[in-house]
Amino acid sequence: METEVQQNQAQQETDPTPESAVKHLLSFALMIGLTLVAFAAVMLEVVPAGMVIPFILVLAVIQVFLQLFTFMHLDLKNNRMTVTFVMMGLIIGAICAVALFVLG
Amino acid sequence: MSAQVEHKGTQAHLPPHPEKATMESRNKVLGFWFLIGAETVLFACLFGTYLALKDSTMGGPSTEELYQIPMVALATFILLTSSLTSVLGVLGIHRNNIKQVKLWFWVTVVLGAAFLGLEIYEFFEYVHEGHTFTSSAFGSAFYTLVGTHGSHVLFGITWIFCLLIQLSRRGLNMETAPKLYVASLYWHFVDVVWVFIFTVVYLMGKVG
Repeated sequence: METEVQQNQAQQETDPTPESAVKHLLSFALMIGLTLVAFAAVMLEVVPAGMVIPFILVLAVIQVFLQLFTFMHLDLKNNRMTVTFVMMGLIIGAICAVALFVLG
Repeated sequence: MSAQVEHKGTQAHLPPHPEKATMESRNKVLGFWFLIGAETVLFACLFGTYLALKDSTMGGPSTEELYQIPMVALATFILLTSSLTSVLGVLGIHRNNIKQVKLWFWVTVVLGAAFLGLEIYEFFEYVHEGHTFTSSAFGSAFYTLVGTHGSHVLFGITWIFCLLIQLSRRGLNMETAPKLYVASLYWHFVDVVWVFIFTVVYLMGKVG
């Protein structure tokens, strides 16, 4: 972390294109890929009928974690409090969603 | 005007990570994550309601008949791309490059507006097919969920638009940089919600 900051400072003066954009572009390519696979799974009927819904849900969850940890710069070591609150939000949200779904 | 602004923007002593540089900016980001946690619960409840009510169509069109996947795919790619452009804007903040910040956040606003246009067009189509807010429980749940997301998009583009005006007037400094960072967090959150909407509402609606 420290060294990264120092690198950024050094690059600011010399090189206007630090390497970090590569990580984001890579993550973006992965997200597009996951989205394409999800749409293909539904439209082309390549996945066994009973497996489609779990399959696309897993793809969605992977994509969300990509967003959280690359685009939103959430990292487990330095933002423990933030991660705790987000996870609490997710857990309470999941309980509410399932409860409403089951009751309905 | 722009030459002046650039001068103002690049001469400021901006630390490499303005969003972590002061107690105020760190608290701003932490507080924003609390909001995201709360919003997650809001959307989760709307998702649960939608899943419970999606088959109560009252004789109206079903999810399978209604949804048009090509349009949803287009909207998804627009919003995903806007998520990338807003993160490129944040990288601009980290490099203290106001030109890059402005460019990418403007692209984000334009893409957000395009997404919103598509969604409005989609809602018009559905209303023509007899799928309205009051036509069935499915209709109410659908428009509440997707409409709440749409209103978040509208709020996001308005917010980022206002911040861009402020950026032009005041330059990139410790006041404006954390605000843009937080706005980009919000924008990613809106995109995360959309990932679940296109999966749970549209794709699962097609699977039946």
